[in-house]
Amino acid sequence: MKEKWYQEKTKKKNGPKAERKKLKKHGGPTEEDARKRNPKAFAVQSAVRMAKTFHRSQDMKTKKHHIPLVDRTPLEPPPIVIVVVGPPKVGKSTLIRCLIKNFTRQKLGDICGPVTIVSGKKRRLTFMECNNDINTMIDLAKVADLVLMLIDASFGFEMETFEFLNICQVHGFPRIMGVLTHLDSFKNNKVLRKTKKNLKHRFWTEVYQGAKLFYLSGMVYGEYQLQEVKNLGRFISVMKFRPLVWQTSHPYVLVDRMEDLTDPELVRTDPKCDRTVSLYGYLRGTHLKNKGQVHIPGVGDFQVADVNFLPDPCALPDAQKKRALNEKERLLYAPMAGVGGVVYDKDAVYIDLPASHVNQQQEMRPTTELVQSLIDTHATLDAKMAASKVSLFSGSATLEPEDIEKEGLQEESVWDPNTQRERRKVVFTTEDEEDVSGSSDDEDGDSEDSDQEDQGEDDGEKNLSTFLKEARAKCVETTKTGAGAPPVKRPKLEERKGESAEVPAFADSEDDLEVSEDEEESGGEEEAGRAGDSGHCSEEDEEESDDGEEESEGESGEDDVAADAAMKEKIASEEEEEEEEEEEEEEVEEEEELCCEFSILLFLSAGGLKWKEGLQQKASDAFLRQQQAAPNLRKRVYGSVVEVDDSEDEEQELGGLFRVSRPQNSKKFQANAVDSSRFSPDASHNWELEEMLNSIRDCFVTGKWDESQDAATLLKEDEEMYGDFEDLETGEVHKDHTGENDDDDDDQEESVVKVDDKEAMKNKRLEKKQRLKERFDSEYDDGDATYFDDLKEEMQKQAELNRAEFEDVDDETRVQYEGFRPGMYVRLEIPSLPCEFVTNFDPHYPIILGGLGSSEGNVGYLQMRLKKHRWYHRILKTRDPLILSLGWRRFQTMPLYHIEDHNGRHRLLKYTPQHMHCGASIWGPVTPQGTGFLAVQTVAGVKANFRIAATGVVLDLDKSVTVVKKLKLIGYPEKIFKNTSFIKGMFNTVLEVAKFEGASVRTVSGVRGQIKKALSTPAGAFRATFEDRLLMSDVVFLRSWFPVTIPQLYNPVTSLLLPVGQKDSWAGMRTLGQLKHDLGIRNKPNADSLYKPVVRAQRHFNRLQIPKELQKALPFKSKPKQLQPKGKTPRDLQRPSVIREPHEKKVAALLHALSTVHNYNRKKAHTLQHAKHKQFLQEKGKQEEAKLQRQKEARKKLYRAMGQADQKNQRSSLKGAPKDD
Amino acid sequence: MASQGLAYDGCNFFRQRLVLSTLSGKRVKISNIRSKDDNPGLRDFEASFIRLLDKVTNGSKIEINQTGTVLFYMPGLLHGGSVEHDCNMQRSVGYYLEALLMLAPFMKTSLKATLRGVTNDHTDPTIDMLKSTALPLMKKFGIDGEGFDLKVVKRGMAPGGGGEVFFSCPVRRTIRPVQLTDPGKIKRIRGVAYSVRVSPQMANRIVDSTRSVLNQFIPDIYIYTDHMKGANSGKSPGFGLTLVAETLNGSFLSAEMSSTPQGQGDPMLPEDLGRNCAKLLLEEVHRGGCVDSSNQSLTLLLMTLGQQDVSKVLLGPLSPYTIEFLRHIKDFFQIMFKIEVQKPSEDKRKGGDKVLMTCVGVGYSNINKTLK
Repeated sequence: MKEKWYQEKTKKKNGPKAERKKLKKHGGPTEEDARKRNPKAFAVQSAVRMAKTFHRSQDMKTKKHHIPLVDRTPLEPPPIVIVVVGPPKVGKSTLIRCLIKNFTRQKLGDICGPVTIVSGKKRRLTFMECNNDINTMIDLAKVADLVLMLIDASFGFEMETFEFLNICQVHGFPRIMGVLTHLDSFKNNKVLRKTKKNLKHRFWTEVYQGAKLFYLSGMVYGEYQLQEVKNLGRFISVMKFRPLVWQTSHPYVLVDRMEDLTDPELVRTDPKCDRTVSLYGYLRGTHLKNKGQVHIPGVGDFQVADVNFLPDPCALPDAQKKRALNEKERLLYAPMAGVGGVVYDKDAVYIDLPASHVNQQQEMRPTTELVQSLIDTHATLDAKMAASKVSLFSGSATLEPEDIEKEGLQEESVWDPNTQRERRKVVFTTEDEEDVSGSSDDEDGDSEDSDQEDQGEDDGEKNLSTFLKEARAKCVETTKTGAGAPPVKRPKLEERKGESAEVPAFADSEDDLEVSEDEEESGGEEEAGRAGDSGHCSEEDEEESDDGEEESEGESGEDDVAADAAMKEKIASEEEEEEEEEEEEEEVEEEEELCCEFSILLFLSAGGLKWKEGLQQKASDAFLRQQQAAPNLRKRVYGSVVEVDDSEDEEQELGGLFRVSRPQNSKKFQANAVDSSRFSPDASHNWELEEMLNSIRDCFVTGKWDESQDAATLLKEDEEMYGDFEDLETGEVHKDHTGENDDDDDDQEESVVKVDDKEAMKNKRLEKKQRLKERFDSEYDDGDATYFDDLKEEMQKQAELNRAEFEDVDDETRVQYEGFRPGMYVRLEIPSLPCEFVTNFDPHYPIILGGLGSSEGNVGYLQMRLKKHRWYHRILKTRDPLILSLGWRRFQTMPLYHIEDHNGRHRLLKYTPQHMHCGASIWGPVTPQGTGFLAVQTVAGVKANFRIAATGVVLDLDKSVTVVKKLKLIGYPEKIFKNTSFIKGMFNTVLEVAKFEGASVRTVSGVRGQIKKALSTPAGAFRATFEDRLLMSDVVFLRSWFPVTIPQLYNPVTSLLLPVGQKDSWAGMRTLGQLKHDLGIRNKPNADSLYKPVVRAQRHFNRLQIPKELQKALPFKSKPKQLQPKGKTPRDLQRPSVIREPHEKKVAALLHALSTVHNYNRKKAHTLQHAKHKQFLQEKGKQEEAKLQRQKEARKKLYRAMGQADQKNQRSSLKGAPKDD
Repeated sequence: MASQGLAYDGCNFFRQRLVLSTLSGKRVKISNIRSKDDNPGLRDFEASFIRLLDKVTNGSKIEINQTGTVLFYMPGLLHGGSVEHDCNMQRSVGYYLEALLMLAPFMKTSLKATLRGVTNDHTDPTIDMLKSTALPLMKKFGIDGEGFDLKVVKRGMAPGGGGEVFFSCPVRRTIRPVQLTDPGKIKRIRGVAYSVRVSPQMANRIVDSTRSVLNQFIPDIYIYTDHMKGANSGKSPGFGLTLVAETLNGSFLSAEMSSTPQGQGDPMLPEDLGRNCAKLLLEEVHRGGCVDSSNQSLTLLLMTLGQQDVSKVLLGPLSPYTIEFLRHIKDFFQIMFKIEVQKPSEDKRKGGDKVLMTCVGVGYSNINKTLK
């Protein structure tokens, strides 16, 4: 509806887009044409690119897949929780008021507590305003389905908005819709547009691209513009929601009504006593089990005493084929807001709407069950009686009420002055009424009350039971002695009455169980209050039945055949019996209503004495019925067996010292019996008999098959299906022979019933077609069915089954099987709530009942992954208390931060890393893994800074932790041998050393070693070996890891218990820094840890010593020189300095000058000489060279000559000797 | 803030209570344990069971009073891992294993348990039976995969014991809902006839006599003979038979019988044993259902611990043990089963009444498993 409207509104009238659309409509050029016109443009340009685009498109497709989940949404869902958040003065209450007015045409003054309205034919809304207390923000983020986030556009975003967004992100992300208000404060249109755009984009980065941001442009008479509110309402009423993990796995109730049920007297005497409170609200999330555990954020964990469901105070309109709701159906329900007068009494739900509203929903449920049951009976008593038939004896004709009246008793109206009403007194025609003193009214009341069996009977009944006992004893006697009287079934009533007394062991306990069950079934619908106790079947019944079993086993052992026969008979006459039982039940009620006396007399007069007839058969019958799990099996299983009758158990005491030890009764025996899962076989089955063997023949593949599964029929079916077919092209019809035969058979039948002939044929054909189609579908679909499709289908099937399974069961029973289903309006009774919850109740703060899973009520160690929020301005310190919001809970705890090393060790960190995840271990409530959490340092007051300190997720739960911190033990060498040293100071005792034998140690210089053995003295010293010799100055380290214990602090934030107006001032344990600040303590730092200016001492090095041997071997150059400075010459060895006379000076100067000249001359001569000699040497060299040349030439000549001569000689020698020789 | 506890009387259904307590995290107090008995208090086998429970859990708190008549159990978290346990000889390993089967899928790390003691005896389901029925049953609930195994390493008969069983089970986070409403027809019968420290011929004699009974129904019968020797044969002589009937829809019905322990009662002829066991199987078939009588409680537990969906299973008549188990499930998980009796029609020869059990799971998720 919305979309259509929206489209119309935004439809383009002109412009290129509109043009294109128009063209499309009139069959203009489409893409197909373009392809034809310009095939090149659409040709494959690049295979790589094509592959890439294909890959990408496939990726996008796969990304869209979510894991299919079973759809568990109820048929009639609870109202959608709409939380309106925003900073103060942004217009939250105004918006809610406008929306309520829009939907219900009503004005609500003060919005406090949840306001539920019917917004459409299938949708209800619950509005809740969220104030700026961070506690409220956290709580409401957990239950919200839709968040309306109000933003003051004139101011921009405020911290609360971002805080709330972050809270939402952690606790599953509900739908968020932004609403900009105060847009009328912009004078300049351009600025307005720019602001809108900026805000929108910032909002998109926080939520998701394209998140809806709504603009409320301005106020008219203190309200938002009508059209805009209407549009917003439309958006809300068509919105779809995604299931959130936490919400779908936990039941929860947003409480919209609270009542204190505590006894006023108790409150008067002790104003601080714990209160019993009933809380009302729509159940959301998942099924809620009765007597479960709930957490109320801000209060604590509580056990639910009782849960009832109530008629819906704000019900959806009945299905009608009209478009809009009429005035009557626009309901509003807000008890906390005090819409009109809200009356608080136990089970009443009043909404007093203004006079214009015709539909004043007012349903009063009286507290007494009697009156309630009377109200709830749908048929009048007379009608019921008229409809019922009584059969007093088995096999006898049923009695109509008229007969009874005729035969036995008549009623007479009697005015009872005590009760001031007319009473129906029973008047007997045949019997005298001597004992009718226990007036019928008493009985009446009793029978109406559900607890006839369990609770005390009145005197009349007691009389009755004793009377019965006697009667029965008589019966036994008579049957023992007497001959077989005609078998008459004894009336059921007396047994029912007598069951609280002792009953013979073989008594058929079936009937009374039956009765109680039936009664519950019929009464159950009517009485909500009575629903809880299903315990009509008392301990005795159970025992009884057990006894019966034993007894009958013995008997049936004797006569198996009889038992078998009985069984068969039973099966045959089963339905009959059921009917009978029903009748009997009716009879019971009726008769009780009339008078119990009647039955006794009847019993005496009619068949009482002959009931023993066929005892054995009866016993075996009873036994068989138990074995075969009769319809009241449920009763048998879930009867109140667990309740222990204490009075019976109590041992008789004799004078307080001794006790009478009685043999263990059967119950005790059962309690201490052998614990084995084996189910002993039924002794009545004799597997030697052919009959018995035959009874299971069909369990085997060799036995007879069902019609639908039998191979022969299946074959036939196939032939039917594929045997004949019609050739569509030619129109020929090919008939199959078998089919014809079949038809013939049909024809024969049809001849008998001619009227149905055509219809039957038609149906048959239709059926066949359907089957063919199904087969085709399944074959066709299987072709491209993926794993994903299969999974989806499976989930779909499961969802259908879930819906269908309990559909036709009435609510009262259904609630027992699956718990209270979401969408129901429930009332939870919680005992022992702290009195502050009631006295400091403030409806502006939400009360949430969060259901807890089976083990979520325990505490243990949680290991989590945590990251400091990047907007939080400080890092977090290990062991500083932190307030966590995890699951439903808000609590203070002391986390230890740690990081995982490569070998999987969790090493303690002193502070959280700046921009990195780290582990955190806390002591806290057990919460399933994968649950997100957020942490704040404090919840008190408002700070300018961003308050969310960290966020994370739970990884693991355990009862012990593995966080360790580094520990370095230090020791010093005491004695050093070669590579072995004695180390002291590391340990204190021998035992400690023994624990560390074999541990590796190392010194500062990096020498590694191992601890070997402890020394006797000094204590704690040990022997260790090292890879090198130690020095006395070495320090030995033992590096070890020390497990850290986590402080067991779990302190729930009890903000709801604080006085009104101070609810946002909860302060828990202070951090170390705060404590020091508050107490003015300054830590004295370790002097060694302080930074001091670095002073470097001048270093002096010793002289280099070279051994003498080495010195000797060194070359002189490297030898250390004896460079001792000359010592001072003694005075006597000092020579006096000479002081010259002027003449002597002159002489010396002259001599000096002369010698200078001489020296100069000599030097000059020397250089000349030197040059001359050089020239001479050159000359000489040349001559020498020439000489050598000459010699060489000569030698050459000589050698040539010698060579030639040699050659000649040789040649001649070869020729032979000259002839001359 | 720990959750509320439950109180019980007497030592019967001891395992059920402790197992459910461990799974639900609720504390349990059992008082008056054989308080009137000449030999009051917990028996050795129960103490051994508690010890086993302590081994597979972390942080459990168990308090027993001086006479052993009162037990307080505060469950910890299921840890799993490698566990070795010497079971008490008074009860067979099946007693302990039945509980482990219930706990194993919900551990932190996959369980690898080695149990030593009596593998086959009268009172408890034997290992062979659990292996052939309980394991395929658990597979239907999605507990399957690598390392789901039950092996008889050594066989030990009562009273001497000396057997050894290895059981390993993977860990699951959630359990699948099941719809086991049609058992199908029995297509084959398999079995194991075992004998230790007696003549190997015993097993053959058992097989022959068994076949003579069962051949009237179905020809596809194969009974393996398993004669263990030497170190694998335990400390006491004995023999026995386990029969399993498999249906077309993959449900298993089983029956078993073992010889009377040495020195306790009259010795039993293998022929009689075979014949009686076959009759027991027929009885089991007569009871019918998709699950045999000794695994009823396991099935119901796994259904209870499933996701919040409807599970259905067709059972034979409920055994007293199962009935008590249902009550306990109601106590611990507030789950009630819808119990419908299905009467077979007259012309169908399919045994006795069946019971259709329907429930909505609690939406249990394994809180012990670590999230990586």
